[in-house]
Amino acid sequence: MSIMAGERQTRSPLSRGKMAALALLLSGLAAVQQAACAAQEPAAGGPPVVRRLTESQYRATVADIFAPDIPVVGRFERAQRKDGLVAVGTSEAGLSSFSLEQYDASALGIAAAVVSKERRDRLLPCQPKSETQFDTSCAKRVIEHYGPLLFRRPLAPQETARFVETARAGQARLGNFYKGLQFMLAGMLIEPDFLLRIERIEPNPKHPGQFRLDAYSKATRLSYFLTNSTPDRELLNAAAAGQLDSEEGLTRQVDRLMASPRYTGAVRAFFEDMLQFDLFGDLAKDPVIYPSYSSVVAADAQEQTLRTLTDHLLTKQGDYRDIFTTQSTFLTRALGRVYAQPVPTRNGWESMEFPASASRAGILTDVSFLALHSHPGCSSPTLRGKAIREIFMCQKVPDPPANVDFTAFDAAQHDKASPTARDRLEDHQTNPTCAACHKVTDPMGLTLENFDGGGVFRAKENGALIDASGALNGVKFNGALGLGQALHDDPDVAHCLVDKLYRFGLGRKLTTQEDEHTEQLDQTFAANGYRVPDLMRTMATSNAFYAVSVAGKEPGKGAKGKKGAAVTERAETRKQVGGRS
Amino acid sequence: MQIAYARRYRAAKWAWCGMVLSALACAVPVSADQPDFVRNGKAGFVVSHIEYALSKDAKETGACPNDMTQGNTSLDAQGPRPEGESPEQAQRRAIAALMQKNTCGNPAAAGPDPNFRTVTGTKVPAYGIDLDGKDSSIKSKPAPGHCSHEDFVGMNGERGIDNQFFRVVGCSKSFQSTGLSNSWNTEMLTGSWGILITLSGVHDLRNDDNVEVGIFANADPIELSPGREPLPNATYAIDQDPRFQARTHGRIVNGVLTTEPVDVRFHKITNSVYLERPLQEARLQITIGEDGSLEGYLAGYTPVEAMYDLQYGFRNGKNAKGEPADPKLIAITANGSAAVLGHTCNGAYFALHELADGGRDPNTGKCTSISTQYRIKAIPAFVVNVETKSLNEDLKGK
Repeated sequence: MSIMAGERQTRSPLSRGKMAALALLLSGLAAVQQAACAAQEPAAGGPPVVRRLTESQYRATVADIFAPDIPVVGRFERAQRKDGLVAVGTSEAGLSSFSLEQYDASALGIAAAVVSKERRDRLLPCQPKSETQFDTSCAKRVIEHYGPLLFRRPLAPQETARFVETARAGQARLGNFYKGLQFMLAGMLIEPDFLLRIERIEPNPKHPGQFRLDAYSKATRLSYFLTNSTPDRELLNAAAAGQLDSEEGLTRQVDRLMASPRYTGAVRAFFEDMLQFDLFGDLAKDPVIYPSYSSVVAADAQEQTLRTLTDHLLTKQGDYRDIFTTQSTFLTRALGRVYAQPVPTRNGWESMEFPASASRAGILTDVSFLALHSHPGCSSPTLRGKAIREIFMCQKVPDPPANVDFTAFDAAQHDKASPTARDRLEDHQTNPTCAACHKVTDPMGLTLENFDGGGVFRAKENGALIDASGALNGVKFNGALGLGQALHDDPDVAHCLVDKLYRFGLGRKLTTQEDEHTEQLDQTFAANGYRVPDLMRTMATSNAFYAVSVAGKEPGKGAKGKKGAAVTERAETRKQVGGRS
Repeated sequence: MQIAYARRYRAAKWAWCGMVLSALACAVPVSADQPDFVRNGKAGFVVSHIEYALSKDAKETGACPNDMTQGNTSLDAQGPRPEGESPEQAQRRAIAALMQKNTCGNPAAAGPDPNFRTVTGTKVPAYGIDLDGKDSSIKSKPAPGHCSHEDFVGMNGERGIDNQFFRVVGCSKSFQSTGLSNSWNTEMLTGSWGILITLSGVHDLRNDDNVEVGIFANADPIELSPGREPLPNATYAIDQDPRFQARTHGRIVNGVLTTEPVDVRFHKITNSVYLERPLQEARLQITIGEDGSLEGYLAGYTPVEAMYDLQYGFRNGKNAKGEPADPKLIAITANGSAAVLGHTCNGAYFALHELADGGRDPNTGKCTSISTQYRIKAIPAFVVNVETKSLNEDLKGK
């Protein structure tokens, strides 16, 4: 299925023919996947997936395989979010021609940097006897050195031979050994085996009739889950030796990866995805209304939340639920302006505790949440309430009806008798059409009204004191601190984290067959004090994390199981909130 | 004092100050309704606007009955121009001539400029405050340590306004509202320098007999919004050079803070020439707004030679490394300014000396400093006393 680099007619290794072939491959893989699912019933896991590398994974992968200073010049297509996670979207969305062009540009840049005069001695395993004469042995060594890392599996002899010929053809056309290597490396970097995480399955020898991920797919799933990057040589070697099939071998690798500095990157990647930080790329604020908001604040706000999370969850090994109540945070001077807190360090981050007078606690009072889930010129109790439900509680709030009548709301915007958002949103509660959904969003969102659309604290809106009282599932409270405590105490919040983290690792919705396992994970999470690293370790060392369900073959139940093959999100099944009348 | 404190105490609650300091040392009784910008009796501010406090335009006040100051460029340009020479070419020719003479580098040698006009009238109103505690007249005996001068009447009829710098520049076109000389606030907004003010020991923002006041040079660039407006609640560090730090006391009466005189010093950077802006016996008379904004006067006496240098001659300017600036850069900055702004350096130099009203030298009987008033606005900020540096600090000298 791979594309012959020798077929290229232009400098670019990505010809039109190759683009078409890649698109065909993608559709073909999807078809194979669907066919497998259609032919057989699922087992304990879910279907294997083909996942596109996310931008952060692509960058981390290139840095880990070659060097951190290798530039990635291409632009990345907007990520597709499915069921609350880009990680799930990567297995459902296709590749556009724009995206392929950008991958091509990145590949050319990366390959050029690797073979550049400044780096070739450091990054290439050999030097040719002569730059003008093709050195088959050296080219083969380069392919054998980087091929398994790029494709996350060993290369077949014929693949190695094909890439050697690609390098030879490149040198023949471009007149230099390194140019040939560059041509070959660029070709490898746009191979589907690099751009896509293609999960392959094999029969499970311990459970005849069942399937499991093959060792390299297992290593890949594990590596991206725990490091957000490609498997390193040690993990690939463990896969080759069959060590990942044993509990001891798998645990050893899990512990090793979680002890590496890259583990923090994986946790950050998960929360960046869960908190929808990709939406910051589209976020605009009216500079007249929110003069403190800037691109620097936007960038620092995301980093603030991620630092707070990793500090609390990893460094302090804290309880996940405390992220809604912690007063510990990190600030830069740019953020200090928004939070009205002193930050003596001029260029850098300072750890600090919010004073009680700041009325801030937990990540819901971070600018990264408050500003992201607001309008460009005003706050939005509805958007904030919806975000809390969907992001932290895995509940689905329906979209507004297409024929919604905004006249009452618009009129209230200019009505001096409605100075606060609570006044203006009165119609949401009294109009039955609106109330069905807004009753689940606005009561929570209104408790954050002490923060404007830029995240700045305010006691009043239009001169009127803000009433920040609210309720969650019948529990009444006041303000952001009360909301944080209510979420801390709500069991759905912890369940949701388990669901999202598991789906982040698998890159797909959960199947009904996986409900039992995720419920066990819920219990383990609670028993371990809601510590996220323990949860991730439990997931990564479980057989279920790598189990494959191929339709028609349910474990221990023959061809037709009681449970259907429906792929459903557990939380979605459990909670569908609101609804239009 | 005792009664006032007791009243405050009854109306106050004790602020919690943390565990490190003892309660006696740190607990300050603060009014229950103190605004957000006062924390534990302390408040910080960054100056967001500054300009010389002068008056309305001479055309409106009639301050310059003998016409406005005529600078060298305009004089030269009025003369016969060679055939084919454009006005721009004429101006360049004039600047070249000024550079050759460089009267700005040695104004004393050039003698007074008979065409340099100053404000001489007594009926002209001016902004400012009374600095010497006396409604002075040229005919009356000056206050101790001062020289005879004519005080102005304030814009609201206040008596005894000491503002001799206004007399020097009030008839210069560039100091009128359409001129360029009083818009140096822009330097501050580009981050070249800044001014910080701190209050501590504040019990009541409306009336307080004794507050500690700090006036400092800002070591950090001012932070602006996308619309280029200074932002509140930013953090700034005090310049660590003690020469740029001043501490004094003040009192607040009906929301107006007035401080005891103290010598202050700030930075000034023009055309990459680094200078200092000293102000002796400086005091604040400033209104504290409910939102934490300050607006009022910073006034005192500027040594005449220093005022000449920072406004006209740039003679002791330094470069970014603190070394003497390139003499050519100084010469072109001073003479170019004179040509563009329409004054003569020697005219300004002698006017400053002639109108100096402070720092009387008992030996010569001459005054060495001139009353100078600034109108300022400030907004809440966090002022920290730490060493700070730019990300580019390491590039210095490379």
